[in-house]
Amino acid sequence: MTQPMHLPPAPHLPRFPLLLRALREPGAMGGFSERDWDLLLRQALASNLAATLCLLADEHGMLAALPARVQRRLGWARTVWQRHLQAVDLELGKIRHALGETGLPLILLKGTAYAAAGLPASAGRLFSDIDLLVPKERLPEVESALMLHGWAGSHHDDYDQRYYREWMHELPPLQHMRRASVIDVHHAILPETAAVRPDPARLRAAARAIPGRAGFHMLAPCDMVLHSAVHLFSEGEYHHGLRDLFDLHRLFCHFGADPGFWAALPGRARELELARPLCYALRYCTRLLGTPVPASVMEAARDGMPNPALLALMDGLFLRALQPPHPSCADAFDPAARAALYIRGNWLRMPPLMLSRHLFHKAFVSPKAEPAQ
Amino acid sequence: MSSPPIWRLAPGQRLVHRCHDGECVLFNDLTGDTHLLGQDVLDVLGALRDMPRTAAGLAQDAGAALDPEWCAELDELLADLAALDLIAPDLIAPGLIEPLPGTQPC
Amino acid sequence: MLTVASLGERELRARLRGPGLRLQTGPFVTCVHSPLAPLAATLGTMYGDYPVLEEGALADFHVRLSGSTGLRRFLRPQVHFHYDGMAPFQPLPLDQAFPMFEWAMNWCVSSQANSWLVIHAAVIEKDGLAAILPAPPGSGKSTLCAALVNRGWRLLSDELTLVRLDDGKIDPLPRPVSLKNASIGIIRDYAPAAAFTRPVADTVKGTVAHMRASSDSVARAGQAAAPAWIVFPKWQAGAAAELTPVPQARAHMRLAENAFNYSLLGETGFHTVARLVDEVRTFDFHYSVLDDAIAVFERLLAERA
Repeated sequence: MTQPMHLPPAPHLPRFPLLLRALREPGAMGGFSERDWDLLLRQALASNLAATLCLLADEHGMLAALPARVQRRLGWARTVWQRHLQAVDLELGKIRHALGETGLPLILLKGTAYAAAGLPASAGRLFSDIDLLVPKERLPEVESALMLHGWAGSHHDDYDQRYYREWMHELPPLQHMRRASVIDVHHAILPETAAVRPDPARLRAAARAIPGRAGFHMLAPCDMVLHSAVHLFSEGEYHHGLRDLFDLHRLFCHFGADPGFWAALPGRARELELARPLCYALRYCTRLLGTPVPASVMEAARDGMPNPALLALMDGLFLRALQPPHPSCADAFDPAARAALYIRGNWLRMPPLMLSRHLFHKAFVSPKAEPAQ
Repeated sequence: MSSPPIWRLAPGQRLVHRCHDGECVLFNDLTGDTHLLGQDVLDVLGALRDMPRTAAGLAQDAGAALDPEWCAELDELLADLAALDLIAPDLIAPGLIEPLPGTQPC
Repeated sequence: MLTVASLGERELRARLRGPGLRLQTGPFVTCVHSPLAPLAATLGTMYGDYPVLEEGALADFHVRLSGSTGLRRFLRPQVHFHYDGMAPFQPLPLDQAFPMFEWAMNWCVSSQANSWLVIHAAVIEKDGLAAILPAPPGSGKSTLCAALVNRGWRLLSDELTLVRLDDGKIDPLPRPVSLKNASIGIIRDYAPAAAFTRPVADTVKGTVAHMRASSDSVARAGQAAAPAWIVFPKWQAGAAAELTPVPQARAHMRLAENAFNYSLLGETGFHTVARLVDEVRTFDFHYSVLDDAIAVFERLLAERA
């Protein structure tokens, strides 16, 4: 099993690059200089948050007061997002048409759910795949129905097929032959092989209909937050780390208006064995983004805290990895931090023996993707 | 045995278009595609927007109900338009709509 | 106003190596970083007239062209393009640094500038009226464009036509005109006074050279123009110079096919092209002799007078 790398102690206070300042306090954008904006735009683009910044500025009534070049640049990103939403609408219609006869409630996950439900977390958010949750025993039926309507399997390598079907928690991604859109059909939110197995039946039972989207459902608020947290804190790659953390922030702010949400959250986390990711989510959201969380919830979530030594290590890893993935925010330890997190991510998802086999296979056997020209 | 579908414009299609000399470009609100269509095809779409019809109904409006070749071409066209998400079928229950006397089923 | 030429060679290289050269081209500001001395020299020649902004001025794009490191520097050295930390292209041989810079600049605009409809086309102007020349590679568009701008037409752009979404006018983006293979010799003869880069062989497009944009076209980069004609050029050996009208619906589809962000712009893209097609006359154009081709354009202009 890979040993965690030794890193110097975490800094006392998280650094706040411009992008974090803008996300923590959108009103501050009005006071940034042109020089600040030059850097902030680059950080936002690298983090895939440019469209989000545009909408945040608009929401706070200050977009029109920003330098003209900034407005124009942010507007380019917003145009992309608006087109993305139209494409998502089309795909959802096609999916409902393809899967209607199964009679299954179509439970959307992550960015797809935010967009379908029009949640604040959807503002400016792009995503590449449609994510769906269905019962495991219905997977073959769902797969056939999708393929009948033009979605084709990918990852034809036998090893990749097994990776997805046996060890992970989803079908290999299905890509539409004409439209090139991709669907990820999940049967659980964590892999078969992970140490923790939040029961998908509980998640499905608590799911609710999305108003105005007949046939489509989303996870209950606590579950949506917990899924986002476990997705972020057990993933291998952190290019979208800050974006995902901002998702959590917006979900907390939106659902947090209902006191029932805070009351239920710690208990639900324990029930689903997700107390640890919730603890991290609360910790890093409050520290990096200033998310308003009731003290009682922070207290109740302490159950999920790792021991102090592990916490210090995780602080060191995450506080670095959750910074904007831009040269201006990197410090000398970043490559090491990201590499350690990649290994950690896969470690949580697969038992150690399998981990080394998978990485070996990926590095030496699978066909390499064509480099972009 | 299934009843022939009533065709209507796919919900959300506004038929944003421009026509010049019998040729038209049409913006597809659902897919974002742009289509090059003959004026006659655009007229069919306009007719379906005004009143959803079966293929037989369209044929009757065009005075071509008794022309099997025309009807076959129309069926193909309707299938193509559906594949492009421009029109969509509603299935009618049998007995709900009577075919007009004297018309040949299309 | 500060220009690249007025910086002088030393300051130019210092900015490129250090804080970046903030170069204005048309409506865009690009912050360029590069340690490569030959590239600095070519930029000095090809971009002498272009405005330079101070450090800290807001840039739309950040590009870096750097060489290989380690042993690679000595054995088939390469040039790498990085867009602010990301590498969208494979590296190329080091002597292709300037063509790579030009392709990178085009890529920045064509992949992001969504406040215009960006058409893959040359566009030139005379007497306030613009002719757009869309064409897939190999149609002779750049040769025709290079000839026209050496016979009194103003260069608005060689590759990227920027059509405003609100009023349909064309915003200029004058930059060096790229020429390939035989065209290089043809245009050198046609325009003996024009400045060219040294031809670079063995690129993916063959031998490539660039012709400097005239000082006048750079000085007037802020002057938009109204589109009057769309001309799809096709060079054909022995062909008489002849215009054939294109039906408007077909013109719409062909323009859409040649625009980078038509689909991305959705309904706005549709209306922008529809308005353009309504406002202009559209032709297919076959020609072989450049002077004959120029005469045809002058006749189009005379018809509008």
